[in-house]
Amino acid sequence: MADVAEEAPSVSEPLDLVRLLLDEVVFVKLRGDRELKGRLHAYDSHCNLVLGDVEETIYVVEDEENDEEVKTISRKSEMLFVRGDSVVLISPQSRIH
Amino acid sequence: MENGAITQGEGKDPSGWLSEIIGHPVTVKLNSGVVYKGELQSVDGYMNIALEKTEEYVNGAKRRSYGDAFVRGNNVMYIAAD
Amino acid sequence: MLFFSFFKTLIDHEVTVELKNDIRIRGVLKSVDQYLNIKLDNIQVVDELKYPHLSAVKNVFIRGSVVRYVHLPSQSVDIDLLEDATRREAANQAVKAK
Repeated sequence: MADVAEEAPSVSEPLDLVRLLLDEVVFVKLRGDRELKGRLHAYDSHCNLVLGDVEETIYVVEDEENDEEVKTISRKSEMLFVRGDSVVLISPQSRIH
Repeated sequence: MENGAITQGEGKDPSGWLSEIIGHPVTVKLNSGVVYKGELQSVDGYMNIALEKTEEYVNGAKRRSYGDAFVRGNNVMYIAAD
Repeated sequence: MLFFSFFKTLIDHEVTVELKNDIRIRGVLKSVDQYLNIKLDNIQVVDELKYPHLSAVKNVFIRGSVVRYVHLPSQSVDIDLLEDATRREAANQAVKAK
């Protein structure tokens, strides 16, 4: 497990990608059909995060008598701690299409 | 080990294979069913993954593309070399 | 350790903890431990009509693992300090990995 770095010392590890995103605006995909956009101020190896100026989008499927419709709920938060176990994906916001 | 009837490819363990496919195009499937296709940048012991030029597929349909993407290992079902 | 230390700097500040079951509890952060378990005083449940069963409760101990978010007062976060601490933590992790 921990010896991956020893086997391949020259290859960077996945969290290095996150390190490069410090103080950048990031896109975070979470469990439960939630997404966040915000500036990354802190992270650790569990993917606990602190984001600033955050916009959260929640996708909710509304079963209007089986006529399933996806509704989006949008929320803002000035400073947000995100527990790492909810995190699925982290990406620089600027390079998403 | 010694009584192992099955010999793996060149005697490599799974993470050895992972380091071999770094830089190659891969498909990563998550437990949620979402699929990512991209170039494997790095993997660690938790199966955290960094991908480049990533495309995201939900229910088989392309949803988004990411320049770089970090995927948290606990969500990963498998990594396949394309 | 980074977030444990970070939350310790927020003790006596008002925060809103959002749980994985969508309940949101606002209160004064009274203590935190290494698992990021959290003790809140003077609590108020946001959207109380939907979750009335906590309205008589004055303080709670929240197990860290059930937390989804903690909404923080941005004026009580020193962003430069936090980012520097994050870089230091990342460097420490890199040393440990060797």
